[in-house]
Amino acid sequence: MLFLGLPTIVLVGWFIYTGNNFYSILENNFIAQTIYFSLGLFTAFIFYAYKFRFFTTTILLAFLLGILYSIIKNVTVGEFDAFFASVHFLIFSILFIVGWITGYGLSRSTIYSIIWPLLMCTCQIILVGKTSDIKASTIIASFAPVLLYTFYIIYTAALIRNTDENKKDLKWYFSARMAGFLSLLLLLLFAVFSIFQPEFKAIEKEWGGSKGKEGKEGGQNNQQSMTHENKDGSVSNNNSMSLSGSLNKSKKLVFVARLDNFFPDSTTPNPLYFTSDYYTKFDTAIQAFEIDPNMPDNDLFKPDPSKIPLFFAMTDSSVVANSFARLDRRVVNAEVYKVLLSPDAYLAPATAFFCQPISVPPEYKEQYKSAYRAKMWVSNLNSAYFIYNPAGNQALEDFQEERFQQLRKVTNYQGVDKKFLDYYTYMPADNDYDSIRILAQEITAKAKTPMDKMVAIRDYFLSKDAFGQPLFAYSDNPGIPGLPSASKLNYFLFQNRKGYCAYFAGATLFMLRALGIPSRVSSGFLTVNRSNKNPGWYWFYEDQAHAWVQVFFPGYGWMDFDTTIPDVNTEQSPQPDGTPPLNLQQPLFVADGTISSLDTLHKIISLSVKKLLFHDQNYTASTAVDISLEISLASIIRDTGIVTMQSLTKNMHITAASYAEVLKNIKATSTDSVASIFKKLTQPVPVDEIKIIDETAAKETAKKESENAKSFDWIQFAKIAGMTILFLILLLFLFPLITWLIFDTQAKSAIPGNKKAFLINRALSFYLNQLGYKNKVRSPHEYALSLDQQFGTKITTFSDLYQQIKYSKQEASEAEKNSMQPFYSNTIKNIRGKISLSKRTVAFLNINRSFQFFKKIKTDTHGA
Amino acid sequence: MEHETQMQEALSKINALADNIGTVIKGKREQAEFVITALLAKGHILMEDNPGTGKTVMAKTLASSIAGNGGHDSANFKRIQFTPDLLPMDLLGTNIFEDDKKEFIFKKGPLFCNILLADEINRASPKVQSALLECMAENQITMGETTYKLENLFFTIATQNPIEMEGTYPLPAAQLDRFFLKIHFGYADEETELSIYKNYLGIQHNLENVKQVLGMEDILFLQNQTESVFIHDELIAGVRNIIWATRKQPDILLPASTRSGITYLKCLKAYALVKGRNYVTENDLKTLSTPVLLHRLIFRTKDAKDKALAAILDVELNRLNKLSIQVAHS
Repeated sequence: MLFLGLPTIVLVGWFIYTGNNFYSILENNFIAQTIYFSLGLFTAFIFYAYKFRFFTTTILLAFLLGILYSIIKNVTVGEFDAFFASVHFLIFSILFIVGWITGYGLSRSTIYSIIWPLLMCTCQIILVGKTSDIKASTIIASFAPVLLYTFYIIYTAALIRNTDENKKDLKWYFSARMAGFLSLLLLLLFAVFSIFQPEFKAIEKEWGGSKGKEGKEGGQNNQQSMTHENKDGSVSNNNSMSLSGSLNKSKKLVFVARLDNFFPDSTTPNPLYFTSDYYTKFDTAIQAFEIDPNMPDNDLFKPDPSKIPLFFAMTDSSVVANSFARLDRRVVNAEVYKVLLSPDAYLAPATAFFCQPISVPPEYKEQYKSAYRAKMWVSNLNSAYFIYNPAGNQALEDFQEERFQQLRKVTNYQGVDKKFLDYYTYMPADNDYDSIRILAQEITAKAKTPMDKMVAIRDYFLSKDAFGQPLFAYSDNPGIPGLPSASKLNYFLFQNRKGYCAYFAGATLFMLRALGIPSRVSSGFLTVNRSNKNPGWYWFYEDQAHAWVQVFFPGYGWMDFDTTIPDVNTEQSPQPDGTPPLNLQQPLFVADGTISSLDTLHKIISLSVKKLLFHDQNYTASTAVDISLEISLASIIRDTGIVTMQSLTKNMHITAASYAEVLKNIKATSTDSVASIFKKLTQPVPVDEIKIIDETAAKETAKKESENAKSFDWIQFAKIAGMTILFLILLLFLFPLITWLIFDTQAKSAIPGNKKAFLINRALSFYLNQLGYKNKVRSPHEYALSLDQQFGTKITTFSDLYQQIKYSKQEASEAEKNSMQPFYSNTIKNIRGKISLSKRTVAFLNINRSFQFFKKIKTDTHGA
Repeated sequence: MEHETQMQEALSKINALADNIGTVIKGKREQAEFVITALLAKGHILMEDNPGTGKTVMAKTLASSIAGNGGHDSANFKRIQFTPDLLPMDLLGTNIFEDDKKEFIFKKGPLFCNILLADEINRASPKVQSALLECMAENQITMGETTYKLENLFFTIATQNPIEMEGTYPLPAAQLDRFFLKIHFGYADEETELSIYKNYLGIQHNLENVKQVLGMEDILFLQNQTESVFIHDELIAGVRNIIWATRKQPDILLPASTRSGITYLKCLKAYALVKGRNYVTENDLKTLSTPVLLHRLIFRTKDAKDKALAAILDVELNRLNKLSIQVAHS
């Protein structure tokens, strides 16, 4: 009983303890309450050991406690006292009764030992529902004890009931069983936990990222964040964007960027957006925008900067072609210094096509984890004030009008690829979306060109209602419609009219699409120009994550179009811009190779170059070309630290970068080779930075690769192992047959004589044993006799002859010897005649019989 | 060559003896063979079964079948019915004062015979039992200072009722050990029993006119011949293994002794002769194991009595079956 009782008390105690955290009525007195429970439990244990009737006694007890409760309630003087005492007593009596029933159930009823753990599980679910801490580990930790307990109780109850109480060493037997069972269970849980740890973590992140989907009770958790935290704590944009009740924002610095001014006059403010992803699909089921990797004419350049060697560029010109932007476009540069941004993330204003990881200046290493340079094919029209509310500012209005005029040239989408157009104007067929369509048509009734329609939509979001109040408001906590399945966009557009960027973007998207204007939602970060101290430098905090719409104009490409209205309620908290890493030089010349000679006196090295980057163009040489480099000014980086020139040795693998101005004027074309560029340069080339590519690092990567290869090999290995095991199993099952074939052949082919007699005897013994006619404590003669009766064979004669050959000095006569062969074949034939093929097949699959046959007989000594 | 023919003759006579017994006792060929085995092994036999199964008839028939010294009389057959009040001297004989000669002369008891039937041996007191058993072991009687030799051929057939029966003195293990074989008679099978009923007069007639098929000399000759029966080393090892295994088997309280092993070997050889062979086989080993060993062992439980020996034999027979043929050497 102790085996059942103690864990129960421990678990219930824990429950009461947790319960105390949530229900004030329990008064945080869990130890006493646990004692009440265990009191009830053990009283019942002892009480029902004497076989009292359960129902009568329990009802009597409940009645007694009820009377006592009412007496206490009435008798105690003082209102507060009475309440306190009576409540206390109530808790006591309830717990006592529960303990009592449990005590009875565990000791007497089989079903109860199953129902009770289930009840406990249910309690646990309720308690877990109360917790706000949604972490896989928390949930596992809270469920594991109950699960353990459930298994334990069911197992132990069954064990106790099925154990013979008179058994010797009962305690020992029990403890051993228990220990074995528990260790097995723990092992199992541990194994499950450790195997699925990554999955749990991932799920955890998912929950953290889109808690809105979880729909937990209370409605408090319907939140979403524009970014998500990766496993290593870094930040990236989400892969999908759902519409939820509220938006989580934090004030953490994500990255810092320097952006060339877009505009020829260098004064017009830059555009507002650093793009991460395009959401081209909308999932109506979960009402979330999603990335479609198969979107037509993919113009999203998404390299992994952490995988590109330092200083070497990755260019994708297809995105430029796919952007369909020819008019008013030019190339600008940007540099992004990552703080919290994930190392593999790449953000740049649209349309980016170039990525070059650059080194962070040593003095900023602490602050910025990594950096890259980006090049974009940007539109001159795409400015911060392109479509934003000019708010009466005449200069802005003029500025906008100038650009609008240009885009008004686009009057329709004739000539645009049909597939492209269909994709970007797709709308789900639904009443909800029809109402958006009607609204869009109403708003833009007067507008003629797509540009005008856009402005009309913008103006609609900025319009005021009959009372002169703004129709729409920005809110991070817009709430969700009462019906869970109701369209959130409709709720936003027609009822609530409050929302954050995703709502505005979503609503705008469908209005535009309803009008046949190709559009998509874009996500990334919004630039906020906070100071003029460092022009061109932008600081991106997590709350600047944003979503907006991009509209397609033939010839001009995709134009950013943001309808999100400013948040009037919350001021931007003062987030001072820091000091930017002043590394404005552009590596014009980057050479990668091994040092072929080293002149420390003149600080000149000779490098065998295989890979070269010159003016952002990659060149590779099939055979290494030597170039001499002047390194007197170079800072030499190893891993992340700066080292002295003495670290350079011959045959060392380095990457050398130069920012030298002299190189700027030397032009190279794509037809040039490494050697031809070197000819144009005046050697030695001054080098500003040298990165030592450590062989150990190389080895590490090689190791990683080999590990990858290994992990691939594991699958191969598993396959081979699986095949081998299968083969062995097959062999195992074929073992009787193979043995029989061997024995049979040997018996048949032997020359008549003693040896043959032995082989025949062995083959027959094996065959009969395999068929299930084993000789069990019978003399060979008796055995043969029984077989003969069964199969109509003449084994008796052979057996006697065999005994004679085996144990006497007499030789078998020639006639006897010659009779062996026909005897053997006749016998096998007779046996086969009596036992059907199917039965024989089944018998030959019985490996156990074969093993029994070959089992080593345990006698101390063999032979004389 | 003469020896060979004599041997052949003797073997055919044994066969005739068994057949002869078969005319009187139907369906008990096996038991008859065991009796002859004990006779040839110079041992004694104990038959246990309920009254009326043919034990006494078996002994009588055997005795009648053996011709006496002169060739006329049958072998000297005596029968003692053991009772609780039997005294040792009723068996051994006693010194009687001869009035004529004025001296004590030794009056030989029934033990001085060739074949002795000790009926219901377990009904006599232990004193009498031990007197008989001593004679069986020593083949002589010592009365006072004089030692009297028993007959050259002295063969005891003892019968006992199942020990559970009332009014019995169970033979102690040490005394049971003197009997080479202990066999159960059992009832005849249905058909045999029917034929017995149909022809009981004929059987009665057969019993009264048993043919003497072989002489005393033949028996003595055959007794000597048993020694020359060939037994393969592996079979000797088999006997050793079985004896050893009884000592390892936890269910056997009293295991087999070395003497029982020797007895086993003697019986094996004798049995081979009875079967008309001059070599011992696995069959013999198996067939004799129960009658030779079972009464010498004391088992922990009744269940073990049925299973322990069988398990030991199973192992040993398996081993022997798998042995390859080895060139026999003598």
